[in-house]
Amino acid sequence: MRPEIWLAALSDELRRHGVGPDLAGHVVAEAAAHLRDSGEQPLRAFGAPAAYAAAVADSVGGPVAAARPAGPVRLRAVDIVKRYGRRPVLAGVSLTVRAGQVAAVVGANGSGKSTFLRICAGLAGADGGRVEVHGTIGYCPQAGGTADFLRADEHFALIGAGRGIRRGEALRAGAHAAAALDWRPGPQQSRHLSGGTRQKLNLVLAALGDPDVLLLDEPYQGFDRGTYLDFWHEVWRWRDEGRAVVVVTHLLNQLDRVDVVLDLSASTAGAAA
Amino acid sequence: MTRTFTVAEMSLRELTRRRGVLLMLLILPLAFYLARRGDHLGQSIRFVCLGLCWALSTAALFTGSAARALEPRLRLSGYRTHELFLGRLVALWTLGVALSLPYFLLIRLDQQDVRYGAIAVIMLLGVVVSPLLGLAVSALLPRDLEGMLVLLTVVGLQMIMDPAGTASRALPFWFTREIGTYAIDHTPAPYLTRGLIHALVTTTLLMLVVAVAFTIRLRQRPHLRFVS
Repeated sequence: MRPEIWLAALSDELRRHGVGPDLAGHVVAEAAAHLRDSGEQPLRAFGAPAAYAAAVADSVGGPVAAARPAGPVRLRAVDIVKRYGRRPVLAGVSLTVRAGQVAAVVGANGSGKSTFLRICAGLAGADGGRVEVHGTIGYCPQAGGTADFLRADEHFALIGAGRGIRRGEALRAGAHAAAALDWRPGPQQSRHLSGGTRQKLNLVLAALGDPDVLLLDEPYQGFDRGTYLDFWHEVWRWRDEGRAVVVVTHLLNQLDRVDVVLDLSASTAGAAA
Repeated sequence: MTRTFTVAEMSLRELTRRRGVLLMLLILPLAFYLARRGDHLGQSIRFVCLGLCWALSTAALFTGSAARALEPRLRLSGYRTHELFLGRLVALWTLGVALSLPYFLLIRLDQQDVRYGAIAVIMLLGVVVSPLLGLAVSALLPRDLEGMLVLLTVVGLQMIMDPAGTASRALPFWFTREIGTYAIDHTPAPYLTRGLIHALVTTTLLMLVVAVAFTIRLRQRPHLRFVS
């Protein structure tokens, strides 16, 4: 099946499964990018359009969160202000995430989602407001964040040493977390990994050492269907382990499946707790 | 200490996998050496020392630039700033010793009537200073091209300026010329002393620049507070 035909069929199937137009457009765009980059046949890469659409519709939020007592606050961002020159990007944005919660940061392109996450991680400065982190942070960037000439196991050792984990333990933990994403790290240097696999590496590195707060900036870029599902299963597992997870995402049409939603699309200001 | 050595180990692994770059690093000083070997043996020693300094500072520049994207993540993972730049320096110093050794042996076999010990001192000081210069430039200038132009300017000036002039003492590799004169022309000990003092001052200043630049770039932002 030609990619154009497969993508059109996927678009129809997503609509049939009740997936909103924004999400459907994003999923189709992601799939198209993957097919273009990899040169794979769509049926081979994603399977039948109907099955893939059903999986997306089924997985976008994961299991409905059971009512649980809220844990202690892990991340509190208060009145965050950020300007690029005279252009305000964030104006008084607040977010509180507790242990055992998943927060989704949603919004249109350019609404400041990634900027907000970088400010929460301390990787970018804020023009106003404050962030409190109770515990340690694991951060997964949208792209980059790895060393081109190092292998995956060397990344595990490097990040693990920073977190005070012995090398053998870091390698085991990395391999275990990679297996949960259906990836078996090999001897390739990270520059030779595909975009999706590199993001798996990024995600594993973010979670290495069990940080209390996980900040994930659209980490599923380039993931195939199976990995995308695996990713959300990992998110739910982290939540169940009592970690606070913040995910920047477009792929959110079932808001009842996350605990907190911060929508930055309506305006430059927002609050969620 | 474990973290510093882990950074050093990974930096070395990265460096040794850039085989093309390594080959060029190895060949470049040889070109400097051969350029003047035919007409002026002493000058060829001075040039090979400068060539080594330039090659090492360039390697440090690219190492520093390549690590820029990863270092904030390493800071988040628990590394302290000094562990990051010291780890890179240890890797570059190790590479520097490995690169310099063949050239010292070449001079030892190819040149007579020079002070070999002093030449070893020049090379060792070059190994110490050059990575510091490259890292300092990479910390101050975010783009490789700008950094390369600065290093080219420094080495170019070092070659064309009169080493006896006061202004040339402001250049980071002036000590190579001064100790080189002591080693090649058998000048009195003050040449060696001045060269050593210059290298010591340069090392201290560049270390300070690297430490301050890294500390500012990788500082914890004031809006962020970790509550234990």
